[in-house]
Amino acid sequence: MDVLYLLIPISVLLVFAVMGVFWWALQAGQFDNIEREGERILRGD
Amino acid sequence: MNYPRGMNEAATAPPVGSLLADPHPDGQATQEDASASGSLGWLGDHRGPLTVTDNFAVLDDPVEQQEFTQFSEVDGRTTAESVLMVQGMYCAACADTVECALQDLPGVERAQVHAATRRLTLRWDPSQTTISSLARAVGRTGYRLLPMQQALSISERLHETRQALWRLFVAGFCAMQVMMYAWPAYITEPGEIPADIDQLLRWASWVLSLPVVFFASGPFFNSAWRDLKQGRVGMDTPVSIGILVTFLASSAATFDPSGIWGHEVWFDSLTMFVFFLLGGRYLELKARDRTAGALDSLMNRLPDVCERQIPAGSFVTVSIRRLVVGDVVRVQAGQAFPGDGDILSESATVDEALLTGESHPVTRAQGQGVVAGSFNLGGPVLVRIARLGRDTRFAQIVALMERASTEKPRLAVLADRIAAPFLVLVLLAAALAGFYWWQIDHTKALAVAVAVLIVTCPCALSLATPAAMLTSAGALARRGILVRRLQAFEALAGINAVVFDKTGTLTHDRLVLVDVRMREGVGREQALALAAALAAGSLHPVSRAIARSVPAEQAGETPFLTELAEVAGQGMQARRADGARVRLGSAAFCDARNTERSNDDSPRAFLADDQGWMATFELQEGLREDARDAVAALRAMGVRTWLLSGDRESAAMQVGRAVGVDHVIAGASPEQKLIEVAALQTQGMRLAMVGDGLNDGPVLARANTSFALGHAAPLAQAQSDYVIQGGEVMGVVLTLRQARSTLRIVRQNLLWAAVYNLVSVPLALAGWMPPWLAGLGMAGSSLLVIVNALRLASKATAGVPTITVGATSLV
Repeated sequence: MDVLYLLIPISVLLVFAVMGVFWWALQAGQFDNIEREGERILRGD
Repeated sequence: MNYPRGMNEAATAPPVGSLLADPHPDGQATQEDASASGSLGWLGDHRGPLTVTDNFAVLDDPVEQQEFTQFSEVDGRTTAESVLMVQGMYCAACADTVECALQDLPGVERAQVHAATRRLTLRWDPSQTTISSLARAVGRTGYRLLPMQQALSISERLHETRQALWRLFVAGFCAMQVMMYAWPAYITEPGEIPADIDQLLRWASWVLSLPVVFFASGPFFNSAWRDLKQGRVGMDTPVSIGILVTFLASSAATFDPSGIWGHEVWFDSLTMFVFFLLGGRYLELKARDRTAGALDSLMNRLPDVCERQIPAGSFVTVSIRRLVVGDVVRVQAGQAFPGDGDILSESATVDEALLTGESHPVTRAQGQGVVAGSFNLGGPVLVRIARLGRDTRFAQIVALMERASTEKPRLAVLADRIAAPFLVLVLLAAALAGFYWWQIDHTKALAVAVAVLIVTCPCALSLATPAAMLTSAGALARRGILVRRLQAFEALAGINAVVFDKTGTLTHDRLVLVDVRMREGVGREQALALAAALAAGSLHPVSRAIARSVPAEQAGETPFLTELAEVAGQGMQARRADGARVRLGSAAFCDARNTERSNDDSPRAFLADDQGWMATFELQEGLREDARDAVAALRAMGVRTWLLSGDRESAAMQVGRAVGVDHVIAGASPEQKLIEVAALQTQGMRLAMVGDGLNDGPVLARANTSFALGHAAPLAQAQSDYVIQGGEVMGVVLTLRQARSTLRIVRQNLLWAAVYNLVSVPLALAGWMPPWLAGLGMAGSSLLVIVNALRLASKATAGVPTITVGATSLV
């Protein structure tokens, strides 16, 4: 049970880490036009 | 910013904060800044969702201004009307804040903000104020005014969508994790979890609630704070109070479990309802983009740059603002024309879906006109610019749409008026419910009060009408039908009679051949072929009708003619292969005065050779192809039809019978038309008038609602509520159908908003609704209203092959 003292704070840090990754993905424009991403493979350029 | 004080300090020891926040670091303090913000104090620039430090000088640039401002002169005084976009708006209450900020300023005559489209119509006096000072005044309340072109640019919207998605993700992800921490407490008996682990879980929940409250809930707090400063209760006030109270009580319980707030924590409810509210808001934003998208796809058609020919003959790329009338530009395939102009190339294939709603290629020959905003589908085309900017038909359409979309329909005004006292009631109810439950059950009091605050949804009420009407207006615009006033939907939905104002609305302005009479021994084909060969050399309407009447397969048998010449005002003459002189034209020109005459004076042409009269061609104005179907469709919808014509009885009756209208009133002068319309109205008829929108202003205005057909009329002068640009009579039917569905959707929306609030508030008061469910309910409720309204977008285009999208994707 003692490991919970470590795991719970780690889970909090993990949440912040995941949010950081999402922020990066968002700013990199990965969510700007979700519909278009699927069509990209069909386009020549 | 308090300027006088700030300046003094700057002279001695400038505090860092004041320098950073100074919108004019070079000391260009303007009069407006000093006077209007003096009372607001040092925090002036740190309020609202935006810190607006622009000085908006660009808005005063006359070149920029012509994009969004129209000047008009009344009684020797110039007033300007500008349409701007308001950045930083979240809900209907923001509209009032911006209006209040502007209304009392000197030089402002009228300021009206439309909540759903975030557009501001501003009427102001250029001699008393500048638009930049007005923009600064709005900036101080935390909103930014942007000119339309700029406001619609991709980057602005991209940033807004990204920010919304980011907030949504933070709230959602934290809510999930907090739920996990809360889960053990739900499934165990009290005391089963060791006290220190329980405390650790609470701290973890508290840490993850921080970004939800202090970042993700930002939009709610901002708008509530703004309302508070105005001394009003806004849509977000109850929500903000709910969030804050829950957070503070839970925090207190976390750090001081023995305190007055008890030991209950609500972090899971808190994060979840914030997530649901933001989720609803995000979807609303998306939906609104789609609604506005119909308008925007119209407005964003003009290219930013174009290729202008320089005297040396080569082309340079310039901004379209630099173009002047008379310039020659080259438009590549797939590009839009930058202005109205005449084609210099051989021919061009263009897509004028903008005007007609039909996206099919139209061929234009050298010298013919093209309109700004239509697309070049063929190869590169050279165009000499005839009209630019405000003067183009495109700009007129955009201006008209702008004005319509900033208007608040009567039902919306009514809803807004109800929403304000309703919110005050909600606050009181929440306080009372909290107090009442406190007596019964300490632990439940907070949850009940918060649920009441969150669950009420006046947003659904105030969005119900404008969302539906705007969607319809956008959908109709894509079909080439422009709506000048949103209010007109209500009038149109209630009509039971359509009056066609003149024969011309049911007929083409071009003539068709109806009858041919020949001299004995002359064949019909022979006469027609000869006449058509003569007519081919002329552009006179009668000649063109005769030329058109010969089927294409007979064109090969055209008689050989020489010395073809046009005698002005008389007709055409030529020499046949056998040497005989042939003529086509008026009776005098063809020596046909003695031939038989019918008593009506419809247009006719005569054909003669050396032996005199050969044939007579009777012509008539052609019926519009869809007039008959449209009238039949109107009858099927329970609408009676009238033809109110100034023409002679016989001509009007003939058209009326051919089209199938119920009643014909012929020979009416404009004054008589007014009397007839008024008489019909006293008989209980609610009339929609269909005219050309030009000469019949008073009659159109007298009717309950009105249509203008065709694009002959300059839009700015057209008096009607609707303009059918393609000129199809069927457009009337389409619009009527759309108006009826619109009103049905509006009624559904209003009913839903009322029922939802009536049911949910008592449930919350009774303590049967946990706060997270309240959040879901409110988000779902306003979303339902928007989605219901969006159904109208598909209705107008259902079954009609419109490929506007295909045309725009060419760019």
